[in-house]
Parts: sequence; structure tokens; C-alpha cells
Amino acid sequence: MKFEQVIGLEVHCELKTESKMFSSSPVTFGKEPNTMVNEVDMSMPGVLPVLNKRVVEYAIRVCHALHMEIDDVLCFDRKNYYYADLPKGFQITQNKRPIGRNGYLDIVIDNQMKRIRIERLHMEEDTAKQSHYDSYSLIDYNRSGIPLIEIVTKPDIRNGKEAAIYLEKLRQVFIYTDVSDAKMEEGSMRCDINVSIRPYGSQELGIRTEIKNLNSISHVQKAIEFETLRQENIILHGGTITQETRRFDENTQQTIKMRSKEDTIDYKYYTEPNILPICLDYQWIMDIKKHLPMLADEREQRYIQNHGLSQMDAHILAYHKDMSDFYDDVVQQCTEYKTVCHWLLGEGQAYLNKYNLSLRQTKLVASHLAEMISFIQEGIISSKQAKIIFECMMSEGKDPQTIIEEKGIKQISDIETLTCLINEILDDNQIFIDNYEHRKDKVLSFLMGQMMKKTKGQANPKIAHQILLKLLEDRVH
Amino acid sequence: MVQYSIEELHALLISGQIHFKEYYEELFKEIEYQQNRLNAFVTITKNETILNLKKKDFVNMLCGIPYVLKDNYSTKGIKTTASSRMLENYIPVYNAHVVDLLNKQGACLVGKASMDEFAMGSTNQTALTGPVYNPWDRTRIAGGSSGGSAALVASGVVPFSLGSDTGDSIRKPAGFCGVVGFKPTWGRISRYGVIPYASSLDHVGAFTRNVRDMAIVMETLAGHDERDMTSSIKEVPQYLDCLDENIKGIRIAVLKTVSDEVENSIIQDNFNRVVNVLEELGAIVENITMPIELLKAVLPTYTILANSEATSNLACLDGIKYGHRRDGKTIEDTVIHSRTHGFSHQIKSRLILGNLALAYENQERMFMKAQKVRRLIVEELNKIYQSYDIILTPNSGIIAPKVKQVDNQYTYESTILENHLILGNLAGLPSLSLPSGFVDGMPIAVHLMGRIFEEQTVLNVAYALENILGLKNQYSREG
Repeated sequence: MKFEQVIGLEVHCELKTESKMFSSSPVTFGKEPNTMVNEVDMSMPGVLPVLNKRVVEYAIRVCHALHMEIDDVLCFDRKNYYYADLPKGFQITQNKRPIGRNGYLDIVIDNQMKRIRIERLHMEEDTAKQSHYDSYSLIDYNRSGIPLIEIVTKPDIRNGKEAAIYLEKLRQVFIYTDVSDAKMEEGSMRCDINVSIRPYGSQELGIRTEIKNLNSISHVQKAIEFETLRQENIILHGGTITQETRRFDENTQQTIKMRSKEDTIDYKYYTEPNILPICLDYQWIMDIKKHLPMLADEREQRYIQNHGLSQMDAHILAYHKDMSDFYDDVVQQCTEYKTVCHWLLGEGQAYLNKYNLSLRQTKLVASHLAEMISFIQEGIISSKQAKIIFECMMSEGKDPQTIIEEKGIKQISDIETLTCLINEILDDNQIFIDNYEHRKDKVLSFLMGQMMKKTKGQANPKIAHQILLKLLEDRVH
Repeated sequence: MVQYSIEELHALLISGQIHFKEYYEELFKEIEYQQNRLNAFVTITKNETILNLKKKDFVNMLCGIPYVLKDNYSTKGIKTTASSRMLENYIPVYNAHVVDLLNKQGACLVGKASMDEFAMGSTNQTALTGPVYNPWDRTRIAGGSSGGSAALVASGVVPFSLGSDTGDSIRKPAGFCGVVGFKPTWGRISRYGVIPYASSLDHVGAFTRNVRDMAIVMETLAGHDERDMTSSIKEVPQYLDCLDENIKGIRIAVLKTVSDEVENSIIQDNFNRVVNVLEELGAIVENITMPIELLKAVLPTYTILANSEATSNLACLDGIKYGHRRDGKTIEDTVIHSRTHGFSHQIKSRLILGNLALAYENQERMFMKAQKVRRLIVEELNKIYQSYDIILTPNSGIIAPKVKQVDNQYTYESTILENHLILGNLAGLPSLSLPSGFVDGMPIAVHLMGRIFEEQTVLNVAYALENILGLKNQYSREG
């Protein structure tokens, strides 16, 4: 029997607002434990939540990007459960009325467009962070109260690859709407998976299991693969799947049972009495839409249609927001679109890979790149020289003119000087001139190499090549 | 040592007729005496207060005025126990909003008052430090849950104190102790820093010995606080300046469904006299009724809602971050041990009830139903307020019960008469208890309930009544 996988994803994303969701303490990552905390984050008796408007704005941005219906009344609920990392003993979330409903995200799989429907988006607060040791546990409340959005898909995903592409695309949405760093490795984006299987052609949904708290896209893919096989095995051996919550063990690459449905916690949801329903201003919601940054798909289209970039280049460029932002800056000052793109994706990316940096961590300035490209166009520097200059711009942040002066880089384009130099080379290499008639290309390239060596790469290759050709013809005949 | 009102003491301080430091030295002697008599303090802040006594200009009305806080108001650096073992040694790192406001005015905190554990109760017999006694008769209860705050104003120790009121926790003890007790509209005063019982029913309020003092305290406490989203941005009237004993034409509804339940003939006569006085003052007084089913539903509705909200409000008390802790083998065990040992039996039974009402299988028929009934009650009250400014009732049908008569149960009576003050919490209405007379040497009171945010009307009617009834500034130092 062949089975079809039915997968739904729940993604949690930490929002990078300045202050926390319901308290005035700052949102930070990696700070000294328990230093970014006030009485609200610790849930001292008597504290009350005050909703951070920026959190709502960020949630609405993502709602817009995911084409969702936005509820114009904000309601919050209490989700009651005891856990050491939950200082209030309940979490403030949106259960009954999520801010966003019925959206979608289009993804491309094997050149085919696929629409993943999104059921809901809601806001809630993050818990504190626990670390467990042999005989004790530690709690860091810096994370307590950081705003989160949770995005739940319909069961539209059919395999691990689709899940991975969806997550990448969603991550891009978070980054492009500028609401989060969405770093799975730092926990600012986390994912729960619901997996069930059914015989191909069946319309009924099988019994699902939930795998909690995945923190990398590759783990998501592996967890889905393992879980599918596990479920298939059970069914093929005549068993039935039980609804349960599982976790993914990174060491064994397997999913492991945490609790069964019978042990499901009754969260006893009810309306948060300390936050009365808030009516959102329609104009405000629309203003947020109007000021939404251009998303990756739009940028890609613009690069192809308006800048003449190839589909591949446009896609890669738009995939990395910092690269795309930088490109947009450069082309404000230089309309050599393709050249700008090639420098960024070629030399630029190679440099970043080599030193394991992001573009923002380098000292490259948009106007410097524009200037360098114009120097190439004007024949002031060669492409080869430009590579040296480019690396220098990235590492030191200097402008190309300064680098040229400091490094003594200049192109020799003067015909008289070049003629003189080439003649010297020809005088020393009579044997090659003799072979010219038989092996024109080889001889030319060898002599050009000699020329570059002699001038330390400063000869204008185009002009030098023309002169060399002319002088060779002259000498042979 | 004279038991001055706020206004009197203010005049004496500003004119220099009273020496500030000497006054407080005397006061702490009195406090010691009354503590032995009433057991109304959890903490006496003598050292902190004396240390902070600096020369002041006394321009603000509350500057230099001593006061007491119920022990569920967070006070930075001062133990705040909510009269529970759970918080027996808890010292907050921050002040409740109203404490900041009073500090700014220069008011002087002299201690934290005893209460029913976590404000759950109406006898003040469930406090960790033991029962509070009624200043008028030490064999009787002060009432609760703000019993300590009521007793300390009624015994003349301080001219005002703060309490909190979730069911009737200010107004009941105010009536039993013969002082003015007032909780304004829900949202009129910030609740930030007050250890909650049931957020949607909790009110900040105060005790004073006369209505003018109440107006002064309300003016200081009321107003928007950016740390409490439910606090109103409505402008705060100048309650004191606007006090007006002319109540001609004010429409007062006597809720007969409740007042007819009074069995004690002296209390009934007293209530009738109040009605007559109001008519003589030119108010339009008419009898009204409410569906008896709704009034009967008040207590169960309240019990379900209050305990459900309490369930999550007290969930932060897990022994991990602060408060009482009993270590177990696992974190879960620690939480279980800490809560089992930290809460008294009556708190646990309330939390169990709250959990039951919220449980998935019960929520619809318990919690949600209670919310619906609450809405019906509020709608019914709104109907009355279309025609009337004030609903008038007897505060209670009894005088303060004997200490031995009540056990540690949450209520001593479950009649509609003894529970109707809860209407003011379900609808968040400004509600005031005003002393109206004595039965067997014990004070009795009437209850005035106004439209939301019409504190001034309630204060004005109370002010006019008080002038005629002649019961202002009464206290009982001995007995």
C-alpha cells in the first residue's frame, strides 16, 4: 500500500520589538541571565499586563504578507498550566479570536507553484528559558514575556521537502517584514509538526501525532521522514496510530513519545480580565499595509522585469534580504544592474563564505561599489585589479580611489608605453614569433601573460592585446 | 492623643499647632495599645516611618497624614503577606501604583493591616496572624476581608486606610465597624501592585471616618495609570470641592426586594428613618424591585467567577520565584509541596472550585453560564439606572457577629440581603457604606450604589445624609 503524508505546521516566531509584549523591559538575546527583567516578567504578585502596540503592528504586518483577514477587535485569553518556565502560571495568548485568519503562502516546488493555506495567526508571550543540569535547573527570565506570533497552516503540506520550502519562505516573510531575525538556531523561530498518513486517494484524515519544538529546518525534514516511516510501519503491521505528542531526538534522529492524548493538558482557557477588548482602527491597519516593505517575490519580479537580471540571479538576490537591500542601494547610483548583481553574488558571496560573515558585518559601502564599477567601465582599472579593490573595500571600508592610490594600482593604457613594453617582450621571445603561424592562440596568450607579468597586471588588456596582435603580424610578415 | 480626621490633622500640621515628630511618637504608642486590643496589624512600620519623618511643608492635604494599607498592597522593601503563609516572608521589589501616589503626597504609612487570607473571606478570621476584633466590642468580628483596615480607622488609630473589595470586602467591615467604606467604579483607581483575588471584580477602595475625608482620598487615588490598562482615562473630578449637600431632585431607588429581608426591627426602623431623611432633603425616593431569581443568583455567580479567576491569579505562587517554598525531588514536586503547605485549607477548596468551573467538561455550564448571568444582572441594574441615580439598601441585616458564632467559612450568611453588596462588584458600580445608627451599641450602616463613574453623586448623597445623621468622626478606642 502506498501512503500519502498529510502535514500541518505550527510556527512560533519571536518578534524583535524594543520592549516585551506586556512589560517595559527590553527584548534581548544572549544577555547575562536575569538582567533584562522587571517585576512583570517575574510575575511578582499584583503586576498587570500592558499591551505593547508595536507587537500588534508587527503581527498585522505578517498578516498582510500572508494575505490574512484581520480581526479588528483584539482579545486575549489566559492559558492555564503549571511549568517552572511560566512565571504567572498562565500564558496570555489569543485563543478564541486570533488576530489573523484564512491566509496563504505560495511556495515553488520543482518549478510548480503550490498554495499553502494558513488557518490562523495569533500573538502570545514567550516563557522563560530553562536549563537542566544533573541535580538542578536554572531559569533565565530574560526571555519571559518576549512577544511571539504563532502561525498555523491547514494540513496542506505533503512531504518533508515541502515543509522545508514552506519554512524557508515563511522565514523570509519574517525577515522581509522586518519583524524578526527568525534564527532557528537561536530559538527565535521554532516549529511544531502535525503528521498523519492515509492511503493515496483517500480523502479522510488519519490520526495525527504532534512533534514539538523543532529548531532547525533539517530537523523538521528528518522528523517528518522518520515519523512517516514509523506510522507506515505500524499500519502495515496491522496496528493503529495513537494520537500523541512526540519530540525529535537529535542524537538518534528519531521521534520519541512525550505524552498521549489522555494526558493532554486542559488549559482552561478564558478571557484575560486585565485586557479589555481593543477595537483596532481600520485606517491604522491599512497604513501598516501601505508601509509594508516590498517582499521577496515582488523584488524578484522587479529584478527580472525592470533590471533584466536572469531568473536565477534575481531569485538568489531576493532570497537574502541584506544582499537585496544592498543591491537596491547600489543601483540607485549605478544602473549597471547585471554588473552590480554579479559582483555581489560572485566576489561578494565568495568573500562572505570565506570569512563566514553576513554582508552587514563587512565594511562594504554601496557608493564605493558603484564607483568601482564606473572605474571599470572607464577603463581606469581592470577587472582583475577590481577584485583586489573589492576585497579591500569589504575588509577596510575604504573608497576605490583611495585604495588605487595606496596600492599604486593603475592601468597602463598609453599606446606608446605599451608598444615599447611589448617590443621588449617580443625581442626576448623570438622563438615564439617563429611558432606564431602554427599556434596563434597559444602564442598570443603566452605573450599577454608575459606582458601582465612585466607590468604587474597594470597593462590595459584590451589595448595591449590589439598592439601585440599588430606588432606580431608586422614581425612575422 | 486626639483621633483627628484628615482635615483636622492637616490644619493642625500646617499651622504648626502639632509637632510632627511628637505626634508620631504618640501615635506609635497608640498603635501598640490598639494592636494588643484588636490584632489588626500584620506589620507595624515604626522604624521605617520614624526614619522617614522629615520636615515637610504640609501643603498637600495628605502630607504628614498617617495611614494603613491592607496587606495585599505591594510595598517596596516592606513585607506584604496577604495574611497567608504563602507570602509570610515576601518583600516586594516595587510599590503598588496607589502607594506611589500616597508617597508623592507625603502621606505616612504606619503599617500593613490584617485581612482574610488572599482577601478570600468576610470575617477576617482566616488571617495567618489570627482574627481581628471589632473596636466597638472585642468579642465580635470586624468583618472582612479588609477587617484590619476597617478596625484601625474605627479605633481612631489612623484617619484613613486602604482596603480592597472583590465581593463586599470594604463595605461589609465598614458597616460592622461604623466607618465610611467606599469603592469607586471598576477602572477608576489603578489596581497595579494589589495582589489580585479576581481581577474583573477587584476594586481598590478606602475607609475614613467622614465623607469629606473620603473625597480627599479618592481625589488622590483616582485616575489613569499606564501600568493598568483597565484604569480609565476619564478626568478625575475634584471630589472635595464638588461635594454638595444639596441633593434635591436626586432620584433614589429603594431596592425593596433586599430591604424587606431585614428581620431586625431596629435595623428596619433605622433604614426607614434614612429614607425619610432623604425625602426631607428633597431627594425623590421610590421603591423598586428586582427579580428574586437574579438576586438569588448573585452569590453562586460571584462564587464561580471569583474563584475561577483566583485560580490563575494565584498560580504565580509556585514556590519557585518567591514566597513559601518546600523543596521536592522534582520541580513539579516542589510546586506541589509549596502550594499544599503555603495555602490554608479554605484557599485550596476555593481553588479546587475554580478549577472545576473552568475545566473543559464544565466550563460551558459553570463558568460561561456565570458570565451570562453576570451580564443579565448588569443589564437589570442598567435598567434601574435609566430612572434612578442611586440604589439604596441596608448594608446588612445584622450587627457584627460574635467571634465564636462564625467559623472560618467564607461567608456567615448566604441570604440575598447579606450578599447583595456583590451587585456593586458584578457591575463595577461606585458603592459606599455609610454609618446610620447603632443597635446594642454596635454600628449599623446603609449602602449607596451609583452609576458607573458617578462617584460624586454617591459622595454627595452620603455627605448630605451624614450631616443629618450626625455620625461622622465616630471611633471606639476602648471596649
